[in-house]
Parts: sequence; C-alpha cells; structure tokens
Amino acid sequence: MNLMILYHIFIDIQEKIHKLKVQDMQEKRTTRGVYGWLLQRITGLFLAFFLIVHINVMHFSQGSLEIDFATVTQRLQSSSFWGIFYLLFVPAVVFHGLNGIWGIYLDYQPGPRAKKSVLAILWLIGIGLTLYGAWGLVPLFYA
Amino acid sequence: MKISDLWMSLIKEWKRNPNVGTFSWILHRVTGVILVLYLFPHFWSIASSRWGAEAFTHKMQSYETPVFKFLEMGLVLLVAVHMLNGLRITIADFFFLTRSQKALFWVAVILFLAVLLASAIAFFPKIFV
Repeated sequence: MNLMILYHIFIDIQEKIHKLKVQDMQEKRTTRGVYGWLLQRITGLFLAFFLIVHINVMHFSQGSLEIDFATVTQRLQSSSFWGIFYLLFVPAVVFHGLNGIWGIYLDYQPGPRAKKSVLAILWLIGIGLTLYGAWGLVPLFYA
Repeated sequence: MKISDLWMSLIKEWKRNPNVGTFSWILHRVTGVILVLYLFPHFWSIASSRWGAEAFTHKMQSYETPVFKFLEMGLVLLVAVHMLNGLRITIADFFFLTRSQKALFWVAVILFLAVLLASAIAFFPKIFV
C-alpha cells in the first residue's frame, strides 16, 4: 500500500461527502448525517481492532481463564495501554451502536418532529450509557 | 410500529431483491440491533465493580455456566458476522471495490467459518462439560 492509494481514498471520501451534501440540499434536508456516515466507518474500523483485542483476551488467549477482580485489575493496571484502550472503546461502541439505530430509524421515513425527539433521546441514551460504562470501569483501574 | 412490522420490512426487502447483498444487509441489521441491546447488560455487569471486589468476582463467576458459555459463543459469532460484513462494506466503499462486493461476501463467509472453528475449539470444552 503506497501513499497514492491513501490520497485516492481521501479524495474519494471528500467526493462522497460533497455528493451527500448536494443531495441533502436538493431534498431540503439538513439533519441527514454526512459526517454520521463517515464516523460510522471510522468508529467501525476502530471497533474491529478493539473487539479483536477484547474478545481475544477474554475468550481465546489461555492466560485469562480466571475472571475475578484481582486478575482483571492486575491486567488492566499492568500498562497504560488498557486505560486508553477502554477510554476510546466505550464512546466508540456507544456511538457506533446508536448511530446504527438512528440509520435504521431513518429508513422508516419518520416525520421531522418525531425525528427531532428521537435524535434527542438517542443523544441522552448515548451520553448516559458512555458515562455509565466509564463509571463502572473506574474501580478496575484504581483499586 | 410493532416488532413484527420490522421483521416484515426485512422480508419485503428480501423478496424484492433476493441476493447476497440483501442477505448480508439483513444480517448486518439484525446482528447490529442485538449487539446494541447486549451493551446494556454488559455495562451493567461490569459496573458491579462499584460495589466492591467481592461483588464483581461474584457477578463474573455467575457467568461461568455452560448456558452462559453457549450464549457467549453466540455473541462472539454475532460480532464476527457484523465485523466481517462491516469490513466488507468499508473495503468496497474506500478501495473502489463495489463491483467485487459479491466476491468479498464469499471471502467474509470463509473468514467466518474460521472464526466458527476457533470459537468451537475455545468454547465447546466449557459448554459440554
């Protein structure tokens, strides 16, 4: 893979964003997420990495068969990698999941008012779930 | 809107266009929704760490049963389906390979079978004890 390919991908993304923006303007829509589409891709790629590591540690590598407080805290505190890992993982997975639900919801052609309130509810759930997930992890990093 | 209406809309889409693209689209939706729903109990059981080391260990060990191991294996497979199809979509999108989406689908199927084999090896001893 050379830099030229990355350059083409960059141009391709810019073209896609431009096309979606024009489409939105023509159809007098502003809420349709051009950036939602791109963020779904970016968080998806991150999640592929996060989940491979997470599931491998939890279910496939032989060293982690015992899941109890002592071994989990020891593993998570063994390196600052894990703190950064889960700090990024939690918001990424919540965003990706709820943005996916939002995309499904839009497929059923809701009215503008319903759309507005569902978006607000999804943001509330997203922020709440992110904070809850992070809150639940704190003792594992500081105990 | 009822849950059955949601199912019907997926079936309608399949009848309109019975193809691997539609099949993977339906799988992507269904697995995605299940995985979002899974997040809630998952975060809830991790948050047991808030009530002390004992509570956390007790919660984690309550999942060490054949039934939960079976469900966990299913979860790993759901993640594999969603991840492989998501990567297929992303690759087709960003690497100018939309024309090869069907070939990419079969590559994803082969990779899924590899994950299935690996998880069978990892989980079966804990499921069939």
